[in-house]
Amino acid sequence: MSNRANAGGWLKGKTVRKGGITSNAHTARSSTPQVQSTSSTLFSGGVKDASGRTTEYFSMDDQCPVCKSDRYLNPKLRLLVSSCYHKMCESCIDRLFTLGPAPCPICQKVLRKLAFTPQTFEDLTVEKEVAVRRRIAKEFNKRREDFFDLRSYNDYLEEVEDITFNLINDVNIAQTEARILAHRRENAALIELNSQREEQYAQALKEQEELERQEKEQRALELRREQEIEREERETAQREIIDRLETSTKSAAKVIAKSRAEAMKRSSARSTTTTVLRSNAQLLRARAAQSTVIPDPPHVPLQDDWYAYDDLYTIRDQYDDMYSDAVRKDREGIMRAGGYRVEEAWDRALRCAVAGLDLLPLSGLNPSPARTDSIVTPA
Amino acid sequence: MAADNAAKEADPQTNSSTVKRPLYEGSTQYKSWRYSPEQLEQIRTSLNVAAVSVIRNTFEADEPGSSEDVLFLNANEEQLLVKLYITKIPQLCGHFRFPEEVEATAISYLKRFYLKNTVMDWHPKNVMLTTLFLATKTTNNPISLESYTSNIPKTSSSDVLDLEFLVSQSLNFEFAVWHAHRALWGIWLDLQSLPDVSEDLRPQDVYDIAIKHVRASRFTDAELIYTPSQIALASLALASPVLAERWADSKAVAGAAQPFSATLDPTLGSIKYIITQMGHPPDVEAVREVDRRLKLCKNPEKVPGSKAYLARQVAEQQRAEEKRNKKAEDVRRAVNEGGDPFGSELNEDEKAKQLAELDDDD
Repeated sequence: MSNRANAGGWLKGKTVRKGGITSNAHTARSSTPQVQSTSSTLFSGGVKDASGRTTEYFSMDDQCPVCKSDRYLNPKLRLLVSSCYHKMCESCIDRLFTLGPAPCPICQKVLRKLAFTPQTFEDLTVEKEVAVRRRIAKEFNKRREDFFDLRSYNDYLEEVEDITFNLINDVNIAQTEARILAHRRENAALIELNSQREEQYAQALKEQEELERQEKEQRALELRREQEIEREERETAQREIIDRLETSTKSAAKVIAKSRAEAMKRSSARSTTTTVLRSNAQLLRARAAQSTVIPDPPHVPLQDDWYAYDDLYTIRDQYDDMYSDAVRKDREGIMRAGGYRVEEAWDRALRCAVAGLDLLPLSGLNPSPARTDSIVTPA
Repeated sequence: MAADNAAKEADPQTNSSTVKRPLYEGSTQYKSWRYSPEQLEQIRTSLNVAAVSVIRNTFEADEPGSSEDVLFLNANEEQLLVKLYITKIPQLCGHFRFPEEVEATAISYLKRFYLKNTVMDWHPKNVMLTTLFLATKTTNNPISLESYTSNIPKTSSSDVLDLEFLVSQSLNFEFAVWHAHRALWGIWLDLQSLPDVSEDLRPQDVYDIAIKHVRASRFTDAELIYTPSQIALASLALASPVLAERWADSKAVAGAAQPFSATLDPTLGSIKYIITQMGHPPDVEAVREVDRRLKLCKNPEKVPGSKAYLARQVAEQQRAEEKRNKKAEDVRRAVNEGGDPFGSELNEDEKAKQLAELDDDD
């Protein structure tokens, strides 16, 4: 965006800025080639994405609702959004608000020129919602640990959502603002604490990333250096071979074999250094671990109506068993599928060994199944 | 047995009067594939007789008078042929290196199949291949059909696949089989818990002999009559009577009338007899003779390409055609008569009027 603030032009010194000219340089803005501004005012704002840049929303059939000009005749058209969420092109804004605060042509709300920001999202309602949520998030930043039970935490969350909804949809604004104020007054200290914590965390993350990047660079450097050394060594080895062939009296094959052996020794002597990286993932995990653990209700085994012969045998911890030798000796668990336990195989075999042991075989052409009676203990 | 105690008493802790049934009695092996020796014989003879009469009729339909000379197989001969193919399964499994579970399951499937079908309808050679393939799938040791058929000479995939549904249907889709070799393994593990059995009293050879007996028992009808634990115990008794007795006694409930091993003796005795007498592969010459005769008395309907087969196919197609026409006719009628092909609405008003007329309240 060209800044012609003091270079003459039709907006020379008349731009009235209430808060002085601030606005950080949106250097990245110049890299969005589509939108060029015709105004000398720097409009700040817009939602930044992860790398700190904002991308403006742009569509070929944009049209300023006030002057009805579109991109066809005016390729540098840029629509900005007011604080009452109405769109206007830059020239209209300049025309209407240069001489001070004026009512918005659409809703008559009094606005200043500064109140206009570029549009980030296609849908203005989304834009409004994002702005409201960012504002709320700054103040309502309590976490789960600040509440003594889940219920109160959920109530708090519901309250926050309620407030947000009201603000977005213009429901009971005055009352909602009062609620926000009340909350702020009550929890000032806690809010402070939490915001500080958030900052620290963000800081730590950034440092972590820095460290990682540096380490990566270092490793790349070392790798390059090693490659250099290797290449040099190979060249010297070659030269040596040639020299030896010239000077020595031994056979050519032996000379070459000797030099090759030396090369092997050299490469094995070179040790590789390993670097241990602490990852981002670990940091996140540490943070998550701070939250409270919900106790698990005790496990109730399945109750059913089948008698599984459990009293007929007792399974031991260890068996001298030739079938499972290979699996049990396998330390690294290569032979074991996930969830496989030898004890379960033994249990199945033992159960099979006693299942139906007392069942009398059927006999005759129309048999009815019977069991042995002799083992039933009478009374 | 403690099983009965659990079954007959109410569980005092849960205060319910649920009788717990033993787990084995919930299995399909207990419910549908358990017979008495007399029943087995009767099933086989009746199956054979029914098959012979059907095939005879088919022969007659082809050429009257041709069936007089044909010597049909009887039940024993069928049994002999099936037994030969049962003995081929372990050879195949050794070639493929399938686990013992696959082998035992395939043999069970083959036996059960021929309790529902006759050899003259379905030759055991392809049925055997199909049961083995099916067994690899149901025991979770699957291999691809290609690698299966490419490793068996002179077999195509259609040989295996064509019969697969028939076999599954004959098994009533009951694929889970309890085996004696697992029971034997369990007994062997449990012997280590017996206090009076030291390690030298149970050398490895005893187990090896016992498992050989279990494998021999697979060639017999033992698994259709007795439970796998009984077969395993009998095999162990053949290898080492002392160990078997000690183990069985340890399973008894205190205060029983006689030691448990004594109660089981008659059962075990008959199993032992079956294993020793009938656990050998059949005489190859006799089987060859049977096979030769089978070629003459096969059911022509099942042989693709024969007159009877084609006639049957034509008959089936005609029936299907009739069904289709009838259905088309129904739909056409419904549409033409100006109603909904799904049926017209119930005529509520008319019915109500009729009912009102009937109502003579005077």
